[in-house]
Amino acid sequence: MLGLALVVFVTLSAASPFFLQTNNLLNLLDQSVVTGIVSAGMSFVILTGGIDLSVGSVLGVTSVLMGLAMPHAGILGGVCVAIAAGAGIGLFSGVLVARFGLASFVVTLGVMAIGRSLAYIFSGQNSISDLPPGFNDLVYTPILGIPSNVATLLVLYVLAWLYLTFTKGGRTIYAIGSNREAARAAGLNVLLYSIMPYVVSGALAAVAGVLLSAQILSIDPLAGTALELDAIAAVVIGGASLAGGRGSIIGTLIGVLIMVMIRNGLNLLGVSPFWQGSAIGGIIIAAVLAERLVSARTGGH
Amino acid sequence: MASVAAAREAALAPPPLLQASGIEKTFGSTRALAGADLALAAGEVHGLLGANGAGKSTLSRVISGHVRRDRGELLWRGASFDPSGPREAIAAGIGMVMQETSLAPDLSVLENIFLPDLARPGRLSRGNWRMRAEEILETLGQTASLPLAVEVRRLSAAQRQLVEIAKALAVEAALIIFDEPTASLSPGEVERLFDVMARLRAGGRGLVFVSHRLEEVLAITDRVTVMREGRTVARALPTARLSQADIVRLMVGQELGRIHQPRAAVGATAPVLAVRGLSAPPMVRDVSFTLHRGEILGLGGLVGAGRSETLETLFGLRAKAAGDIHLHGRPFAARHPAQAIRAGIAFVPEDRRGQSIIPDFSVRENLLLGHLSAHRGFGLGTRAREARMKALLARLDLPAERLRDANMLDFSGGMQQKIILARWLLLEPRVLLLDEPTKGVDIGTRAAIYEMLREAADAGTAILVVSSDFEELLGLCSRILVISDGTTIADMASAVLDEAKLTLFAAPRSSMAATTRLLGDLAAETGGAAFWALRDGGRLFCLARAGGADPGADPGADPGFTTGATPLFGETRIATALAHPPGQSLGRFIAEPDGGRHSLLVPVRSHRGHDFGVIGVCVARPPLPDADAIARRVADLVTRQM
Repeated sequence: MLGLALVVFVTLSAASPFFLQTNNLLNLLDQSVVTGIVSAGMSFVILTGGIDLSVGSVLGVTSVLMGLAMPHAGILGGVCVAIAAGAGIGLFSGVLVARFGLASFVVTLGVMAIGRSLAYIFSGQNSISDLPPGFNDLVYTPILGIPSNVATLLVLYVLAWLYLTFTKGGRTIYAIGSNREAARAAGLNVLLYSIMPYVVSGALAAVAGVLLSAQILSIDPLAGTALELDAIAAVVIGGASLAGGRGSIIGTLIGVLIMVMIRNGLNLLGVSPFWQGSAIGGIIIAAVLAERLVSARTGGH
Repeated sequence: MASVAAAREAALAPPPLLQASGIEKTFGSTRALAGADLALAAGEVHGLLGANGAGKSTLSRVISGHVRRDRGELLWRGASFDPSGPREAIAAGIGMVMQETSLAPDLSVLENIFLPDLARPGRLSRGNWRMRAEEILETLGQTASLPLAVEVRRLSAAQRQLVEIAKALAVEAALIIFDEPTASLSPGEVERLFDVMARLRAGGRGLVFVSHRLEEVLAITDRVTVMREGRTVARALPTARLSQADIVRLMVGQELGRIHQPRAAVGATAPVLAVRGLSAPPMVRDVSFTLHRGEILGLGGLVGAGRSETLETLFGLRAKAAGDIHLHGRPFAARHPAQAIRAGIAFVPEDRRGQSIIPDFSVRENLLLGHLSAHRGFGLGTRAREARMKALLARLDLPAERLRDANMLDFSGGMQQKIILARWLLLEPRVLLLDEPTKGVDIGTRAAIYEMLREAADAGTAILVVSSDFEELLGLCSRILVISDGTTIADMASAVLDEAKLTLFAAPRSSMAATTRLLGDLAAETGGAAFWALRDGGRLFCLARAGGADPGADPGADPGFTTGATPLFGETRIATALAHPPGQSLGRFIAEPDGGRHSLLVPVRSHRGHDFGVIGVCVARPPLPDADAIARRVADLVTRQM
């Protein structure tokens, strides 16, 4: 998968003289922020064997709530409202899935529809653009020379990697996805760590919404539409199994970069945007097929 | 000369229906079959024997098309045969009666019998089905015992098996493989199954009987093939020339006595775990026992008796409905496993693949899973366990570099089980619960597991073991608790028991309903007590009893023992009657020398000659009931129910 990323990178560098320019590379990372942050949350859910289709709508509705709150509560207050709302929606989905045993696909499909509908209602079908100008600083203030939105992305991935690799909760998430019954029989807290990934996913979708809104200084109730598909694609290209238990957060980041590079490269090469779907779709299927062939050869389960 | 005799024997032997030679099969890195042979003829019952993990089931599944062989030759009626799936094997005439039945629980008996018909083209005719089903039950001599319209999930284990057999006959199977068919049957039901098998044999079918219960093998098979570690070690030996000891030697390759060392009973200390009246419906109804420090207690019973569910309830995996559990003298009830683990209880479940192994974790992480759950911090906190982990690894014969191995499923069943056991020993539990700890484990690893358990017990851990292998229970435990239909019915020292007695104690109470009813009737009519018991070596083993000690009954008729008791004759109140030589004591009432209690003992013997002990009636004083009438009722019970 890292190999695939390199192949894409080298091919695009060779094909387009503009690809390797510093501006374009920074642009690549900048374009990865929203999908990347949402995909990190999606990784948590997919590692437990679930799926979260609601992330795009959660991004939309939490952004609208933030836009409504900001004139009263200030920038920080608005951001907190958005993240709390995202986490709350995730908690709702997580409890329905883990406590009541509903299928995550169905629960989050429902939440996806509700979220988008509420985004329209709360915003009165209009974009919100009376945001404080200082809000824009959240994205472009450099931290150690890196724009703050890219820094946020990287810090979140490092934290997620540390958590999933070196903590009790992280390993429990893997164990649940790999064999829920065995995790239960070993006394792990299956309920808590089955709910928590949805909370993380909802909260990170809201964080992505904050950065997106700050970048364009405008909030559209349509924001984040179809984002869930990009996030799932990134996680799968990154080598995770949709059955759970297998995959890594680093893989997800590489998956995000592969997708962004392909979009960016095809644009630079002047390929019609209508071909992008075919390219991304082909890569998703190839990645899953490769994973299956590898696990069949090593006698996986 | 020898070759002439061999040639004559070969000429006399019927041509084989099925011949398998040099079959090999590898799963991952586990070599399940490494040169298995089997040849059997039409019209015989052929025993396929071997210890757990010898490859009997895999070979059966190769023949029935469930598993495809890697190498070796399979001849069916003289022609090469390579079924790509069970469907093809069924079409060729090979049926299998599975250990865990392969029936659709929500379909009716009739639909299940003709399930393979759904794979055929053309219209289904229920009327035709019904007619053929009745014919089949007729040939089995079981017309009365199987209602065709009932859904399969309402049937008993024995009835389900009958459906499986009928299903094999419906596709006109010429060879039927019975894979451990008696694992969940009572002795009476086993006899009925043997009647059915004898009829099938007389009808010219070939039968394979897979089992590790030697008495049954000797009773029903004509020839036996013995497997050990994936290889056939004895081919088609005539059963009549074998003794149990011969078979054991072939199965094990060494004396079992070497790995079995019954434990001495522990002294009377305060129990670590005391359970009274535990219930968790539907499987656990009334379980009581005590478990002491350093003790290995066996929990025996048939598959489906509620053994696993009892352990799961103690460990917090199942909700408790009623009953008291005391741990170290304090009330204790685990609502989830984490609570049980923190209280010092550990549990090794039966299904390694389903309930123990995390397949995506390395061996090391699997080993530390119990620790992860007991650990209270945010991080992993494994450093504290390193020293003990090293010591345990040395016991496992596992090279340290294999700790990093990604896939635990690549290890042999025995190594997997040792790793899971080590997962819990790492926590130094005070109570260790084990469910079928040597299932699918080779004989060498078994010895190592027993050794690890004995060491843990010597270090003070109290151990409760569930096993279907009664020999294992007798060889490992100092005391055995028998559970039947979710109720503990006996608590006995293993020193006084053997496998045959344990099998009778473990019979499901539901299958003995007629017997208990008769005991109740006899007690009520005579105003005394009635019991069913075995006698052996001056000791009585009471399987069931009614009357006498119940409130309102005549205390003078109390024989001095209750269900599950194993007193010496002298410790009962009817010692004289029990000690009478069989010829004289059977058939008439014997009075005790103190003038009280007159007892009658009637032998219970099936028409196949199997000894089921005696049914006794004890009254306080004359007038004595009619002994002949009681004997007739017992004989009647035997023909109808046993």
